[in-house]
Amino acid sequence: MSGSRSASWWERPAVFAVAMATLVALVISSAMVRDRVYAASRAQTQLLYIPDGAVLGRMALSFDALLADVYWIRALQHYGGTKRADSEEKSYDLLGPLLDITTTLDPRFNVAYRFGAIFLTEGYPNGPGRPDLAIALLQKGIGEMPDKWEFYMDIGFIYYWWLQDYNAAALWFEKAANVPGASWWLRSLAANTLAAGGSRESSRTLWQQIYESADNDWIRNEAVRRLTQLQALDDIDQLIGAAQRFIEQGGRPPESWEELIGAGFVAGVPVDPTGLPYVLDSSNGTINVSSASELFPLPGETLPPPQ
Amino acid sequence: MAVIPRIAVHVFKESVRDKVLYNLVLFAVLLIVASYLIGQLTAGQEVKIIKDLGLGATQVFGLFIAVFIGIGLVSKEVERRSIYSLLAKPVRRHELILGKYAGLVLTLAVNIAVMAVALYAVLGYMSWVETEEFRQSWEAPATDPAMLLAVFLVFTQLMLVTAIALFFSTFSSPILSAVLTFGLYVVGHFNADLRNFENVVDSPTAAYLARALYYVLPNLAPFDIRAEVVHAQPVTLGYVALTTGYAAAYIGALLLGAMFIFSRRDFK
Amino acid sequence: MSGYAIRLQELTKDYAVGFWRPSPVRALDGVSLDVQPGEVLGYLGPNGAGKTTTLKLLMQLVYPTSGRAEILGRPAGDVETRRRLGYLPELPYFYDNLTAEELLVYFGGLFGFSSADARRRASTLLDRAGLGAERRRQLRKYSKGMLQRVGIAQALVNDPEVVFLDEPMSGLDPVGRRDTRELIRSLGEEGRTIFFSSHILSDAEALCSRVAIVAQGRLAATGRLADLAFETKGWELVVTGTDDGALEALGLDTATTQVDGRYVIDLPVDRPPDQLLPELSRRGLRVVSLTPRRESLEDFFMRLVAHREETAS
Repeated sequence: MSGSRSASWWERPAVFAVAMATLVALVISSAMVRDRVYAASRAQTQLLYIPDGAVLGRMALSFDALLADVYWIRALQHYGGTKRADSEEKSYDLLGPLLDITTTLDPRFNVAYRFGAIFLTEGYPNGPGRPDLAIALLQKGIGEMPDKWEFYMDIGFIYYWWLQDYNAAALWFEKAANVPGASWWLRSLAANTLAAGGSRESSRTLWQQIYESADNDWIRNEAVRRLTQLQALDDIDQLIGAAQRFIEQGGRPPESWEELIGAGFVAGVPVDPTGLPYVLDSSNGTINVSSASELFPLPGETLPPPQ
Repeated sequence: MAVIPRIAVHVFKESVRDKVLYNLVLFAVLLIVASYLIGQLTAGQEVKIIKDLGLGATQVFGLFIAVFIGIGLVSKEVERRSIYSLLAKPVRRHELILGKYAGLVLTLAVNIAVMAVALYAVLGYMSWVETEEFRQSWEAPATDPAMLLAVFLVFTQLMLVTAIALFFSTFSSPILSAVLTFGLYVVGHFNADLRNFENVVDSPTAAYLARALYYVLPNLAPFDIRAEVVHAQPVTLGYVALTTGYAAAYIGALLLGAMFIFSRRDFK
Repeated sequence: MSGYAIRLQELTKDYAVGFWRPSPVRALDGVSLDVQPGEVLGYLGPNGAGKTTTLKLLMQLVYPTSGRAEILGRPAGDVETRRRLGYLPELPYFYDNLTAEELLVYFGGLFGFSSADARRRASTLLDRAGLGAERRRQLRKYSKGMLQRVGIAQALVNDPEVVFLDEPMSGLDPVGRRDTRELIRSLGEEGRTIFFSSHILSDAEALCSRVAIVAQGRLAATGRLADLAFETKGWELVVTGTDDGALEALGLDTATTQVDGRYVIDLPVDRPPDQLLPELSRRGLRVVSLTPRRESLEDFFMRLVAHREETAS
């Protein structure tokens, strides 16, 4: 451009650059302030106003699957964000509705069913502790894809582990085994559950099977964690035995590990498989893993969600 | 009267006589009135449905108006070359941009006002027709003044969309400008999810990129307070002020950019 | 103040053509030209020669790559100078939903005229352009020829000292062309400077004292029309007061176009009109206009180039 054009005052590079920079800074800072101050209440209301999945699907036209992805990410964010927050009272209320919308928009969204069920069953404070919702979600998945034996197995698992209804668990494992293409060990798992469900050995077998048949790291790691918890339970059984012998000998329960060590019932301060010492609570006579341990809470000891 | 207001008034006159605009507004009003009938089908949820549908219709039709009038006024004018005779008058190029924008905003305001009046008329009728005790069951009164806040934010959002349309039409063809503007509108509504990315992805680079995009791309979701208003959740003036300020700054940047591009370009 | 109304100095314009690796195409190359106040200059050239580019550079619709243009002593594009200019773009198009009157009032307002004043000017100008009856009709309903007339009217809203017209005759029928020629002539007589472009020689002949011929972006020739030798290829004769029979008797081609009782006749070059005209008046025909059909500017230019090459070798 030759110089014969008279530039207005605002076009001079210095003025223009400063003006643009100022405006951009205002845009970003107003967004930041608004987000910091109002994000929580906005999120709350926005999620309160959860639209109906079917309606949303119709409105999204051919972009259902994409919208399903968006809602799945929101579900993950809601679960992960709530779990990690420091607040006293955690509310996972919206996890169920979000997962419902995701799977209505994309009924074949496998991950949403399986992982969604896992998140829903996690006990408070790590999750909402709602096995009923998880089972409903998986049944919805079965409705869509009746040949997915994994869903049947997952339901059976929930009955086994979280609801301790071994008859129902065995039933569902059996159903899973009947689906063509299912893993060969499901039938024996069903039989085992019926015979000795609830025993630590059958739990150990279950988790071992899950570990070996898992197709992703997350489930494998979870299986390892559960197996380690079972290991800790075995350890605690041994320690209780030692404490019992102390009582028979001394007439009173031990007050600390030092006493037990001094009396020769344990070699040193016992640590759990992750390396943290077990906690001996002399006031009510319990031995447990430390609350700081990764293995806390041990199975059978999840806290109830707040009323 | 200075040049910019004259151009604005001309833009308004030209738009108001546009048949497309007429039909859009008419359709919106019909939809709002029809929402009353739709509301009758859902037991006990009439008011909510009318408010939802009414605000939604205002939003969607307002969007179409904003984009088509916005594009038509610069992009189409450049394409049809009616801009040549205008530029030969003692009008500076940036005055043209500002005048166009002012006229567009005026047109938009009038159209939104018409739709808001229709909505309030239906709600007012609803309120008048129902019994007192039924009215008590509503979360918020039918003719809740908070709805005006919702309409105001819709209008503000559309002012931003209009600025985007105007910006693109200073250098793109009408079709491309329309596509880009609609595209940014859709992206703008899911912008907030970009912020969630850092909780979901592992790589910090991706997270930073997502954050940067979140701030640069227009974030249109905060302008939608339908949920709050329909469920009678409070909306503070501070929130409205911040959101409006965001829009004002963004519009300022877009207009400045548009003025710059428009002043420098050749009209081949 | 230079004393010239319009001054072009080494005006050059390159366009970048192509998207990925744009290469410059030179639309105008070092054009230098002066126009005196009160002059009527015909800016002639074949299609694609750079005429419209020159006008756009003068109106600052595009910016020059190098060189300068001045109007009334100020650089082209000076906003205040535009108060004294008028511009008719090529194939003008305005606003569908406005009427012709509203358009001129709007433009008048941009110059700062009061509504009453602007309306008065609009009225006068539209009458002068022959559109008085249609002034309240929306522009979307206007034919190409009518839009051309509106274009001329809007160029005159501010009573300009210098008027730029880009192909003012395009889209007009022979009668329209004649009317426009008259209009331009009267504007010239009013002392305005007129700069108009055309690709048809005969348009210039009736109006200009001086022409500038541009081809392929360069100024090929300037001077008085009479000094530049153009070949005549025939004449266009418009008559009234007759019928097919009379024309046949005169040996004129009766497959002529007829509009409103006016016959437009193409006279071949071997039938010079000076012999024919007395015959016509004797038979009671009235001559509306007689226009020579010159060789096209393409042909002239090619002849010029060939002549140059001849003299060079």
